[in-house]
Amino acid sequence: MSHTHNDHNTQHFYEGDQSKLYSGVMNPHFGHDITAPDSKKQVGRIWKVFWILLVVTIVEVILGMFFSHHLPEGLVAFFFLTLTLLKAAYIVSVFMHLGDERRNFLITVLIPLVLFIWFIIAFLADGDFWLHMNSTSPTRDVAAIVSIK
Amino acid sequence: MAQATATTADSKLWGGGRSPFNVSYGKMMMWFFLLSDTFTFGAFLISYGTNRFFSAVWPDPNKVFKAFPMMGHMSLPLLFVSIMTFILIMSSVTMVLAVHAGHYGDRKGVIKWLLFTIVGGICFLSCQAWEWTHLHSEGAWWGSFTDLSAPASSIEHFFRAKAISNPAFAAGAGMQATHDFYNFFFTITGFHGAHVASGVVLLIIALVNSVNGTYDRRGHYEMVEKIGLYWHFVDLVWVFVFTCFYLL
Repeated sequence: MSHTHNDHNTQHFYEGDQSKLYSGVMNPHFGHDITAPDSKKQVGRIWKVFWILLVVTIVEVILGMFFSHHLPEGLVAFFFLTLTLLKAAYIVSVFMHLGDERRNFLITVLIPLVLFIWFIIAFLADGDFWLHMNSTSPTRDVAAIVSIK
Repeated sequence: MAQATATTADSKLWGGGRSPFNVSYGKMMMWFFLLSDTFTFGAFLISYGTNRFFSAVWPDPNKVFKAFPMMGHMSLPLLFVSIMTFILIMSSVTMVLAVHAGHYGDRKGVIKWLLFTIVGGICFLSCQAWEWTHLHSEGAWWGSFTDLSAPASSIEHFFRAKAISNPAFAAGAGMQATHDFYNFFFTITGFHGAHVASGVVLLIIALVNSVNGTYDRRGHYEMVEKIGLYWHFVDLVWVFVFTCFYLL
């Protein structure tokens, strides 16, 4: 990314007017020709991701409309969640340019998300346990609550 | 010797006066804000999932979201929300093209793509307004629930409803499930819609600044990139909302 600059000619950006850091160091394209091949290549990449997102969404909708009621619930959930994560990865990596950032930054942003693995497992398991309690404990039987009313 | 040099360079890199991530302060703070927002939406969706897991029955999205404007009572499951999803994906593409034009300092390109993105955002919000109005006309709202005296057949299309033999239990479970379903639906899509609406406001500000040449005078279009990050995040949240409410 910073191949057009070396440490000697970027140091003054840090020491002088910091507002020039962005256009001077962090965005090497500034002032370059937008019709140049490297720009065209990036635009092509953006449209390619658009088509991927569109096709994945269409597959999801077809699956949801016609097949999700004839397949095991767990399998359907697995398909949908995998396709969702695939779409999320493309959006974050290409549209949000996280894939173009330095690896250190990418890791800094992604590591806190590991907490979600625990959140999801713990809370869904808890919900399932409650359902079990609801249908076996006589004090939680909804039928009993209805008869009180 | 080589190792000593590397250590010195490393401590200089992280010792202040530089940006080791090569990311500007504003952009990094936008990323951290989005990370916190991820946890907000994550908490919403996980609590929705928890409720769904402890409910004996659950409404089937193909039966709830089946209406389409001008189509009367025709059953067209998922079709309308697919169009909403397409609009949001499309606006994400025009946004990333605006960011790309900004990278190269191409003012005309930024203005053109920002305009398309704003139109997409407004279309999405209009679709959501229609969907909410339609659901509201069917009696769905925060706090709404099915009638306990309704026959068991009124919820027989719910997930897992066929497994329940006791009709009184089924009615109670159906009441609780519809109540939870609509509370979560309106809260989460409402919170997302509020994000889209504030995104549209930010985009309009960026458009006005681009037209006025503010960013050219500043020497960069970093603001467009930061608003772009926010806009893509809103699209990203919709990807998960779409899966949780309409597909699963």
